[in-house]
Amino acid sequence: MFANGSGYCACVARWPAFAVALVTALLRCQAQAATVQVQLQDAAAKPLSEGVVFLESREARSASRPLAGAELAQVGKQFVPRVSIIPVGTALHFPNRDTVRHHVYSFSPVKTFELKLYTGSAANPVLFDRSGIAVLGCNIHDNMVAWVVVVETPYYGRSGPDGQVVLGNVPPGSYRLRVWHPALPVGAPALDQALTVGPEPAGVSLRLPVIP
Amino acid sequence: MKMRLDQGRWGLSARIVALSLALLLLVQAAVFSALRISIGQSARDQIAQELLIGERVWLRLLEQNAQTLAQGAALLAADYGFRAAVSSGDLGTIRSALDNHGARIGATITALLDTRMALRAVAESPGPSALAPHLAQLVSALQLGSHSGQIAVLGGVPYQFVLVPMRAPLLIGWVLMGFPISQKLADDMRALSDVHLALVRRAPDGQDQIIISTLPEDARQRLLEHGADVSELALDGDLLVTRSVKLRAGSSDLRTVLLRSVGEVVEPFRRTEAAHGWITALGVLLFAVGSVFVARRVTTPLRSLVHAAERLGRGKYDVPMQYTARRDEIGGLAKAFDRMRINIDAQQAEIRQLAYWDRLTGLPNRARFRDAVQQAIDQHAMVDGSSRGALAVVLLDLDRFKHVNDVLGYSFGDLLLHAVAKRLQRQVVAPGDMVARLGGDEFAVLLTGCDAAQAMEVARRLAASFELPLAFEDQTVDLSAGFGVACWPIHAADAEVLLSRAEVAMYAAKNQTTVTRLYDPSLDSSSSQTLSLLSELRYAVEHDELCLFLQPKLSLSDATVVAAEALVRWQHPQRGLVPPLEFIPFAEQTGFVRQLTLWMFDRAARLWAGLQTPEQPLRLAINLSTRDLLDPEFPLRLDAILATHGAPAGGFCLEITESAIMDDPQRAQGTLHRLAQRGFKLSIDDFGTGYSSLSYLKRLPVDELKIDKSFVIGMEQDEDDAKIVRSTIDLAHNLGLSVVAEGVENRAVWEQLKALGCDEAQGYFLSKPLTEAGFLQWCQDWSRERACRP
Repeated sequence: MFANGSGYCACVARWPAFAVALVTALLRCQAQAATVQVQLQDAAAKPLSEGVVFLESREARSASRPLAGAELAQVGKQFVPRVSIIPVGTALHFPNRDTVRHHVYSFSPVKTFELKLYTGSAANPVLFDRSGIAVLGCNIHDNMVAWVVVVETPYYGRSGPDGQVVLGNVPPGSYRLRVWHPALPVGAPALDQALTVGPEPAGVSLRLPVIP
Repeated sequence: MKMRLDQGRWGLSARIVALSLALLLLVQAAVFSALRISIGQSARDQIAQELLIGERVWLRLLEQNAQTLAQGAALLAADYGFRAAVSSGDLGTIRSALDNHGARIGATITALLDTRMALRAVAESPGPSALAPHLAQLVSALQLGSHSGQIAVLGGVPYQFVLVPMRAPLLIGWVLMGFPISQKLADDMRALSDVHLALVRRAPDGQDQIIISTLPEDARQRLLEHGADVSELALDGDLLVTRSVKLRAGSSDLRTVLLRSVGEVVEPFRRTEAAHGWITALGVLLFAVGSVFVARRVTTPLRSLVHAAERLGRGKYDVPMQYTARRDEIGGLAKAFDRMRINIDAQQAEIRQLAYWDRLTGLPNRARFRDAVQQAIDQHAMVDGSSRGALAVVLLDLDRFKHVNDVLGYSFGDLLLHAVAKRLQRQVVAPGDMVARLGGDEFAVLLTGCDAAQAMEVARRLAASFELPLAFEDQTVDLSAGFGVACWPIHAADAEVLLSRAEVAMYAAKNQTTVTRLYDPSLDSSSSQTLSLLSELRYAVEHDELCLFLQPKLSLSDATVVAAEALVRWQHPQRGLVPPLEFIPFAEQTGFVRQLTLWMFDRAARLWAGLQTPEQPLRLAINLSTRDLLDPEFPLRLDAILATHGAPAGGFCLEITESAIMDDPQRAQGTLHRLAQRGFKLSIDDFGTGYSSLSYLKRLPVDELKIDKSFVIGMEQDEDDAKIVRSTIDLAHNLGLSVVAEGVENRAVWEQLKALGCDEAQGYFLSKPLTEAGFLQWCQDWSRERACRP
């Protein structure tokens, strides 16, 4: 798990009906990095898992570094994980842990590629050199789908079953809070809102117009 | 005859056959009409059902087609290359890919829509211009439905559209594919069901257009003429029932018309009907043959029994019945008939025995004898020409049989008849001859192959056989009989006449006291000769051709004329004087003798007064016949005549022969007494020739005996005759009767009689019969002569 942020307190401001929530960040100290906690809910106000949250800013883009050894495995004819977040420039490995072959492809403009039938580890990892969201499938197994969210920031996270994403070590500053979920319409960009991070931990609660 | 006619027209056989055929036809007609109704009903039901099924099949076919297309389209949409091409984003590439991959599965319209159903690309043909106007409607319809099977008409061609998602791997767009609804689909439909199909599009102006159809060209024309809404379509003698199904085809009015041929549906039923017809015809034939056979089984024996019964009716009992071996009712009837036949035959035999045989003598009776004579005549008649034989009948009647019966008893009479039969049978032995008892004491003999002379010979032989007396117990009886002979063909043509002729001859024999007599027409009152004689005789009586002759009777003692016998003479205009023998027997037989007697008595009564002289009364003697004695009115008739002429009864002597009295002694005696009471003198004529017993004569009121001239004539030479005459005279005198001798022909006899004490004499010696005038003259002469003599 590469997206564990350290803790800020987040205070939740409610906006009416599917609107973007207003976040109040509580910075514990100005000089120190803060923790941003984001609570994701679906349209029914249930905790929403597999939501992707990342913060963008010029500083953040320059702080972004590719990950090494990132991988998207195929286990039990499923991509694991279904939703991956990688920084731009990361070479993603596609180890096949099944006994059957897979034919992984992407027609997404972010990264179009094709890994023809293979077993074990593909020969070359796929380099994601543009930010965006790539949808991956297997040409053999139509039900296999995975999303690779390529970001240009080190502050990103994915919600677990509790719908919470905690981004740690976020230096105070103005950010664009981006939120995306696979259930959003195909090709829809990540939701975007401003977020100012102070020294104190900040908490944001967001309701997404999705039905799991 | 009527019955037979009826049989011919409507015999039992015909009725059985007609009835069974009528019943069969009735049943078959009922079955046929039920079949007809049921066929009509089930044909209608079947057509409706088939059309309903046809509709389902057609819709199902369309749906399956759409599903197949959708599957194909889905596979295509998932094709990696296709997806890669579409993902390329190059419109030219995308179009060619659509074109290429659509052609793979036979889609002539292929289009790519984005996720918001906006048209991204259309394959090159038929071009986006045709599709675009329909797209929105089509897509919404497809999204509402199952994404497949929506029908739309583009450019006049109906298409089935399918909409399949395209994922890579998430939904990136939609592929719309259109497949033309082809003739093949209609042909598949036609192959699956017997229903015809026409896909009809109605243009906005109401004009119908057939897009595809399994119908032949003329039917299409017809359908277009009548429109797709027609419910029935008449075509070349057939009828097509239609069902119109509207298809969901957007704005286009597209409908499927399903058509079912009534003719095709009814065809198997028609074959059933035809088979029924054949079965009926065959059944009628079999029934006809069968019932004719059965009826024959009944009616042929019945007819045979009818014939047999008719045969029985005709009296033929010798042919046994047929069908007696059968075990059914016919057999029972035949057996009953046969028993009847046998019983009737036996009864007939017995009846014939009774009818044709005389029980007493065992001889054939009259009927049997007549038949035998007729049979013999028939047999002889069949032989032609000169070889044709003759036959004769001898008839005999016993003399005095009644007397025998009266005196000796009936059982004795029976014995006598039996003996006579035996005696006759002994004499008649030739084959074909027959002895029969005709009744009473009358017998007959049939002699075949025998002419008149031979028959007379046989008759004489028979008579000779009677000469031997019969002895029974302690009685001895002399037999005598009269034999009459008549021959075929000279005397008669048939049996009946032949018998009567023989009878005539027999009575003639008896009357003339000859034993045998051959028939002669003069004997017979019924022969043409005698008939004419009879009419002539009648004519003679009425026209005074007869005249009365008188023969004097003289007293032997003093030779005075004391009486005269009146005798009849016939002065025939052509034949001259007819001798009495030629017509007196005949008059006796015919009964005309009674008129003759009365005529004579009348003449005699008229003459009587003129013959009387003061010195000597003259008695007139008149002969009476049997028939006179048997006529109860006879005395009264004489009374009337006497009254007319005023003559006394005592002036007349009535002469009766012995045989005339003996024919019926009882009645004769009665008549004689009545005559005697009136004062008539009675005399027995021809005494000595008959068989009258003296004891009987004694009871009669008789005054004199007249000795037969045969004795008188012979007494001069024959001593026996002289003795008879003498004893007769003595006897008569002893009984108080006077005696007259006739046939005195010479003086010697006259003297002899005078010596014997005879009272009166008559004969040619004295005078032959004379006319009235001659008699009167003779009397004068005689008395003058007698006066001259001493």
